[in-house]
Amino acid sequence: MDGVVLSIWILRLLFLALLYAFLWAVVRVLLRDLRAAAHEPGAELGRLAVVASPGGEPAPGDAFSLDAVTTLGRDVNNTIVIDDEFASGNHAVLTYRGRAWYIEDLGSTNGTFVNGSPVDGIAPVAFGDELQLGNVRLRLERARR
Amino acid sequence: MLGGTAPGNAVRPAPRPGIGATLGRIGIAMSIAFGALAAAAGYWQVWRASELSSAPDDAAVVAAGRNVVRGEITDRDGKRLAWSVDDENGEPYRKYLSRSISGVVGYASRLYGTAGLERAYDAELTGVTSADPVQELLKKLRSNPSDPQAMRTTLSATLQGAAVKALGGDSGAVVMLDPRTGEVLVLASTPVYDASAIANPATAKVTFQALRADPSQPFLPRATQGQYVPGSVFKIVTAIAALGSGAVNPETTFKQQPGAERGGLLVSGFRIRDGNHPKTGTRALNFVEATEVSCNIWFALAGLETGGDRLAEWAGRLGFGAPLPFDLPTAVSQVTGGGGDAPGGFKDAVELANAAYGQAETLVTPLQMALVASTVANGGILMQPHLVQAFTGRAGTRTVAPEVWRRVLPSAVAGEIAAAMVEAVQGDLGRAYTTGARVSGMTVAGKSGTAELGGTGAPNSWFIGFAPAENPEIVIAVVVERGGRGAERAAPIAGTLLKAWKAWAGR
Amino acid sequence: MTLTAEWRLRPRLRRRELALLIVASLALVAGSASLALTRRYVAGEPLTGGPGLPLANGTALAIYIGGLLTAHGILVLTGRRTDQILLPTVGLLGGISLLLMERLPQDLAGGLGLGTTQLVWLIGSIAVITAIAALVRSDAWLRLYKYTWAAFGVGLLLLTFVAGREINGQRLTLVIGPLSGQPSELLKVILVVFLAGYLSENRALLVEQSTRLGPFRLPPLPYLAPMVAMWAIALSIVVVQRDLGAALLLFAVFLILLYVTTARLSFVVLGLVAFVAGGAVLYQVAPHVRTRIDIWIDPFAASLGAGYQVVQALHAFARGGILGTGLGAGLPDVGGLPPGGIPALHTDFPFAALGEELGLIGVLAILGLYLVVIERGLRIAASAVDDFRAILAAGLSLVIGVQAFIIAAGNLKLIPLTGITLPFISYGGSSLLTNGLVVGLLIALSDRGAEPPPPPTASRGVRRLMDRGAP
Repeated sequence: MDGVVLSIWILRLLFLALLYAFLWAVVRVLLRDLRAAAHEPGAELGRLAVVASPGGEPAPGDAFSLDAVTTLGRDVNNTIVIDDEFASGNHAVLTYRGRAWYIEDLGSTNGTFVNGSPVDGIAPVAFGDELQLGNVRLRLERARR
Repeated sequence: MLGGTAPGNAVRPAPRPGIGATLGRIGIAMSIAFGALAAAAGYWQVWRASELSSAPDDAAVVAAGRNVVRGEITDRDGKRLAWSVDDENGEPYRKYLSRSISGVVGYASRLYGTAGLERAYDAELTGVTSADPVQELLKKLRSNPSDPQAMRTTLSATLQGAAVKALGGDSGAVVMLDPRTGEVLVLASTPVYDASAIANPATAKVTFQALRADPSQPFLPRATQGQYVPGSVFKIVTAIAALGSGAVNPETTFKQQPGAERGGLLVSGFRIRDGNHPKTGTRALNFVEATEVSCNIWFALAGLETGGDRLAEWAGRLGFGAPLPFDLPTAVSQVTGGGGDAPGGFKDAVELANAAYGQAETLVTPLQMALVASTVANGGILMQPHLVQAFTGRAGTRTVAPEVWRRVLPSAVAGEIAAAMVEAVQGDLGRAYTTGARVSGMTVAGKSGTAELGGTGAPNSWFIGFAPAENPEIVIAVVVERGGRGAERAAPIAGTLLKAWKAWAGR
Repeated sequence: MTLTAEWRLRPRLRRRELALLIVASLALVAGSASLALTRRYVAGEPLTGGPGLPLANGTALAIYIGGLLTAHGILVLTGRRTDQILLPTVGLLGGISLLLMERLPQDLAGGLGLGTTQLVWLIGSIAVITAIAALVRSDAWLRLYKYTWAAFGVGLLLLTFVAGREINGQRLTLVIGPLSGQPSELLKVILVVFLAGYLSENRALLVEQSTRLGPFRLPPLPYLAPMVAMWAIALSIVVVQRDLGAALLLFAVFLILLYVTTARLSFVVLGLVAFVAGGAVLYQVAPHVRTRIDIWIDPFAASLGAGYQVVQALHAFARGGILGTGLGAGLPDVGGLPPGGIPALHTDFPFAALGEELGLIGVLAILGLYLVVIERGLRIAASAVDDFRAILAAGLSLVIGVQAFIIAAGNLKLIPLTGITLPFISYGGSSLLTNGLVVGLLIALSDRGAEPPPPPTASRGVRRLMDRGAP
């Protein structure tokens, strides 16, 4: 009789203890993720420095911190607005896939260029490469630590 | 945030202000919200837990009350006072032996809760609580977690019935107890009511509502909660204080007393009158004679001699001024309304003098006066009054042993007072005041009282006493509301009941 | 993007998920054993019914744990780098639900009985999670058709208004042929999808603009319009469906997402003021709202009448105390009717039943599990690649979190009681399947991409997206 009561108590407490064991394991994973995130170079995957911009928007000398998907064009909804008469509304999109950057021309009127050569659909971009959209020239740079 | 690519030039983040920051804030807000949930859970599960889980509308309590067959209540001879029967749905309800026990046993009703002993020992009778904490933990695991206990009381159904019968149609109370053990044999209160009809679900509503509206207050348990002006029976309290403190001895006389019998006693300019015992003439009375003839003047003077503080203190030793340690809740008996500037809380000497013969702001319960008599009867030792002899449950029987509450008086002083009380019943002078209290073949000691209530109407009729005087085994206190002089109503009832006790006990 | 490329199996171990699933399964086995022993002890049956550990309906538990492990296996086979915490966490919540439903009176659900029916729905929910987590790779179908989704949602709502079947004074259930369900459960997902699309699209344009109305700065019109619409929808749900909980949930999630997008507390305050004002008017004119509020303020005033459920729930928490009575030893099954039983216990008050049997310790653990789901969802949102996915992930996790909060707070008399379900614990198919959908989407959204990038031709989706992006 008492042995049974004792085992019921043990099982009840074991159940509760395992619930907390689960929570503890989850919290450990969450904390490890947070710490790993802190060691990464922030959310920045790369940066785009403005080399030349006759229209002043973007301002020459500025640098944009890049997300995985960065849209470029004259439309204000773009991540980076290119205020240049030769740029299209939705000109190009810069994407980070795996460990490399790609530029995709979105059917712009005047085309997108990587180191002077026109992009046909999609092209890889390396750090240090220069992009040209209309009169605006931008350089992809490695993210800083 | 990261410095410029060239000196003087700022790095602009992509124009996507702070979605991460707002997400972080939402995360904190949700954590706080869930913290509030945790706090609320703690409030209900820890802070309010015991209050809620023992409340009458708690499912566990309700279920226990509804489905558990309450333990039986029996009298000291094993006669059933209360037991359970099943209704047509198989749910149990209570039945009671007779109306006469209603004032003490009370009732247990699904609709109207509990009263009396059914209320006081609800937990034991339903078995939802147990004194043993380990049992308390284990019982949550049982299919039938309750362990209803049967309860054997100290009551005598025979004497209880006789007491209610003797009180007849009057409102009043009778207490009878064994001075040697404190066991209460009778705790009667009239008018009585039909507890079975309250417990029976078919008749509960009509019965209960009619009783609640009854102006004669059948639900008031007068023996424990009725507060009465004591009149002359309080003189025994004054005697205990005066003789016990040594302020007065049995031979003390007061020379102004005989004169004051006619013209009244002047206290602080106020004239206290008395004129009830012309037989003693101009002789100064001693303690025994004063008790015998119930001399207000002598006791007023003895009270003044004792002083308010000592009277209050000695009354306190007898149980005045606080609820009594008893199975049922009791009203507080008081010597004075209190708050006065004079010693002991009296307003002045006039109040003290009046209180000394039980006629000021003094209020007592019948049980309290029974304890006063019990102290005298038991040689100055006051036993704790109690109503339960034993509980019997699954785990066995637990008996309640007699307990000394306190020694109030030296036995010699108690003997002196007892002797005076014998004279009050048996003596030539006392007879007129206690007619009917005597029992052939047994010496009875006692004191009657006639409590003037002011205004018109008959006074309350009192008697307290014990028997057999040589070796007291039973104490009695009787009060009859508006019963007239003590000698007329209460003393004969006491005589009848002592006779009944003698037959019952085979003395 | 070719199907063959997508479907080439590249299994990827999910060690954390497996470890957490094992801990969760052990907990459930311990709980089941404690329930079984308690039950036998209470019934006075022999305590060693067979070889090995006695379990309460061990078959059901085995099927459930098997279901979780199968889901894990499928996710391993698909080889995506997705979240490994959500499945075990909601799996544990669902397992607790299974124990609770096994333990309650089985006749609360017809047919198979409460426990078995709940097992079927739980398996269904796991299947939905797994299917979505394994298969959904593009969010375009959500992103591009937001107005279609919105129209679908409003249509569903209107259909419920008109054709809904009234149960317990609430018009929540839609019956189509043999199927019945509560559309408001699905509605919350549709709302989040629409809001994610709408808010992310208009965000860049609108952060700096505002509408002026006299001296007041109001949110810009594109925010104001949906805000008013949402407010109207929420109040109409209260009036027509008498579903205070769904209204509260939808409106709260809307306001939180508005804040996430704009970082403007003033919009939230404005929305709250409007909601409270609407509620105050409804308090005056709608008796069912007034009853709810009055019960909340003092349930003990009518402890045998309108406040009965709430009072008995509080008593259940109180009986539980710190350690609880243990599974199977509480009093939820005294009758289902007064005295003792809590009506609608399996749908509206599972939290109170758990509070009684698992105690404060158990309650805190369950709250912790929900908090894990929320924080994990917000983490997925924070690391999402764009606004749409961020708002979507935040919205989905908040749908679960806010819903859990609303019903738990209602059980604890922190806010007025509403009749919504406790995600993954309450009995009910609509709720379990929809919440499975939510968690499946969250896992899919947590995808950090396949390691080596696929050839860049895979960007037709992006092109299509950008073509349509600006209307």
